[in-house]
Amino acid sequence: MARKILLEKAHVEGIRTYEVYRREGGYRSVEKALKMAQADVVEEVKKSGLRGRGGAGFPTGLKWSFIAKPEGVPRHLVVNADESEPGTFKDRYLMEFIPHILIEGMIVSSYALGSNVSYIYIRGEYAWIVNILEQAITEARQNGFLGKNILGTGFDCEIYVHRGAGAYICGEETALIESLEGKRGNPRIKPPFPAVKGVWGRPTVVNNVETIAAVVPIINDGGDEYAKIGVGKSTGTKLMSACGNINKPGVYEIDMTISVEDFIYGDAYCGGIANGKKLKACIPGGSSVPILPANLLLTTAKGEKRLMNYESLSDGGFATGTMMGSGGFIVLDEDQCIVKHTYTLARFYRHESCGQCSPCREGTGWMEKILLNIENGKGKLSDIDLLWDIQGKIEGNTICPLGDAAAWPVAAAIRHFRDEFEWHVKNPVECLTSNYGLAHYADEIHVPVAV
Amino acid sequence: MAEEIKTFKVTIDNITIDVAPGTTILNAARQIGGDVTPPAMCYYSKLEGSGGKCRSCLVEVAAGSTADPRPMPKLMASCRTTVMDGMVVKNMTSEKVVDARNGVVELLLINHPLDCPICDQAGECHLQDLGYDHGKAGTRYEFKRRTFEKEDIGPYIQLHMTRCILCYRCTYVADQITDKRVHGILDRGDHAEISTYISKAIDNDFSGNMIDVCPVGALTDKTFRFKNRVWFTKPVDANRHCENPKCCGKATLWLRGDEVYRVTARKDEWGEVQSYDGKAGWICNTCRFEKKETSDWTIEGLTTISRHSVIGANKYAVLDMPAETIKKVLHGRDPKLLMNIHNVSGVNNPNIQLSEINRPAHKADFVKSNEFTKGEGESTQWGLPKE
Repeated sequence: MARKILLEKAHVEGIRTYEVYRREGGYRSVEKALKMAQADVVEEVKKSGLRGRGGAGFPTGLKWSFIAKPEGVPRHLVVNADESEPGTFKDRYLMEFIPHILIEGMIVSSYALGSNVSYIYIRGEYAWIVNILEQAITEARQNGFLGKNILGTGFDCEIYVHRGAGAYICGEETALIESLEGKRGNPRIKPPFPAVKGVWGRPTVVNNVETIAAVVPIINDGGDEYAKIGVGKSTGTKLMSACGNINKPGVYEIDMTISVEDFIYGDAYCGGIANGKKLKACIPGGSSVPILPANLLLTTAKGEKRLMNYESLSDGGFATGTMMGSGGFIVLDEDQCIVKHTYTLARFYRHESCGQCSPCREGTGWMEKILLNIENGKGKLSDIDLLWDIQGKIEGNTICPLGDAAAWPVAAAIRHFRDEFEWHVKNPVECLTSNYGLAHYADEIHVPVAV
Repeated sequence: MAEEIKTFKVTIDNITIDVAPGTTILNAARQIGGDVTPPAMCYYSKLEGSGGKCRSCLVEVAAGSTADPRPMPKLMASCRTTVMDGMVVKNMTSEKVVDARNGVVELLLINHPLDCPICDQAGECHLQDLGYDHGKAGTRYEFKRRTFEKEDIGPYIQLHMTRCILCYRCTYVADQITDKRVHGILDRGDHAEISTYISKAIDNDFSGNMIDVCPVGALTDKTFRFKNRVWFTKPVDANRHCENPKCCGKATLWLRGDEVYRVTARKDEWGEVQSYDGKAGWICNTCRFEKKETSDWTIEGLTTISRHSVIGANKYAVLDMPAETIKKVLHGRDPKLLMNIHNVSGVNNPNIQLSEINRPAHKADFVKSNEFTKGEGESTQWGLPKE
């Protein structure tokens, strides 16, 4: 069983309260960090090799070093708790069970960035978590970790929780900033990047909840120590929220050296496919990353075992690989219909498109309608090519990554499961009652032998 | 110390031009002019913050700058990307751009009603031009198009949301030109719509400029609606002394005979409101909607209008007629006109090339001999051939 860092104390009774959290060693990193120079804290995070846990996997230390420092202009840290990706629920777990680790990480990060007012932008649906966080903030303030002159170091910091109003798009950092400012949550055109002009035109860093929480062990144990966990450029531990047709859905903390096979079938993790069925397909990183059939998921196109980390999951590019994303691990068994699944995702992205740029606004709606037709046995074979063409017209041509996120699942489904789509079109009556089943999706991949 | 660089060299479709730092690719291309210029549906140089939304101005940046000559991985919105020294941009010479633009046009049109024959904007509609220049002849969209109820937003402006392409220009006008914005975008995604807060009327001295900036027929002038076709009216430049200090008093009157059918702000070659002394020439609602007599205005002369529009350039005249389709429907019989419209109206005389007339067409341009003959001889009163 791999080492747990973030969730180590998650099940200690009363860990939600300040007393227990402090007794278990909480807020040590604040005491340590506030004695260091700000640049050293950033340097420590750089050394750790921590990568953004929100989906893109951008190195956090590097992101922090980009923040502009104009004279006399306040800077802000915004924590992105707008976790709305279908299949992802790791931040919810973290905030609900150990809210203090987020607050602690935020104080350290705010100090490193020079942010005196920091925000948590939380999705509106997490209504009860807002109360938990507010409680944690109050306790931290009562104990002198927030407010004016923290621990007598002269550093001031306030944390505010801002509730979103239920829009997936507000998880995109510039849309989040617009929403935080009280405007319509439309993504901004970059550049300028938030590190230069963010909230109210001030330099801003937007980080995921898990990223900020990971700053705590980095400061406690040192960046080098943290970098020893994991493999290659995937350092540290990652929270995975596993769901779908598995025996034990839930949030798991993994170090990124285990294989996908171990994660799905291992008793410490998902515990195998539910009801003794067979694995058909899986989306390893939240709904917007490409879906993979069982054979490509467990082994890469080169025939190697696929590991649960950034590099291995994206091995082979989009042709035969996928992405780590935000860690929303969705498993589909042999009874699931890929067409229906793709339609469900397309419906989601149609509903969540902000409607600002035309390819995404019109394209997501179009794809949803075509997929519904195919799902209902009213599709044509040409519709599959049309879908492929539409997703190509959306991908890369939009302001924010939502266009890409809407295009990738459709593209990947057609790339890997084209015969299932064709079966749906050719058997319009049968497809309403039965489904394509596992077919050849778990067959061993033929790996060409190097000459 | 290095010499201060005053201009940036940018190459667009193999044409190099020096522009001031901070210029966007689109504006640099406009300085070159012609086919090099990407189309723009949502960007409006006089409105701060506009652009980046319609994605019709996408270009390929083949080299970022002299210092960093790597190409940009994605197509860039030229209206919001500023040039760098030594940047190399591909517009019409890039297959990727042509393909992406094709896609944007198709996507913009899937939910557009294409009711040009009854739309007041036809003839000066940017979407019409965009569709003609960059789109394909057919669509692959087979579903019901999105529609909205027509909404009453005040005495002067008709909002027809079905035609809207959500360019956000009118909201920028309301933010920047009028005192207070009372309309905006409601909802999101492909069900987003422009509307006022609980169907409030838009009542402001400068609200009429929203009509001018609207690239399509979503916002039309109620005082002109269904009165005439754009290409039948004759535009003249005129000015009046307007009491409103923010109004420039310079307008274009659209006449038929001596009757003023419509008053708009003067437009430049990109379809945007002209600037005077560096300020955009917005006009007030009094000038636009109330002063509809020639005596209100001092007429300066005919407007030189660019014949870029689909109808102005007479592009439809060269379209292939779908002869086979009609023949198929008629089971192989040739289509027979019920009446010869060229006998009925002189305006439709096919011998006269409207594009060759270098000014607004006038009644005198149409040859008398084509006036229909009454009742006698070879045709009847309605121009029907005698059996």
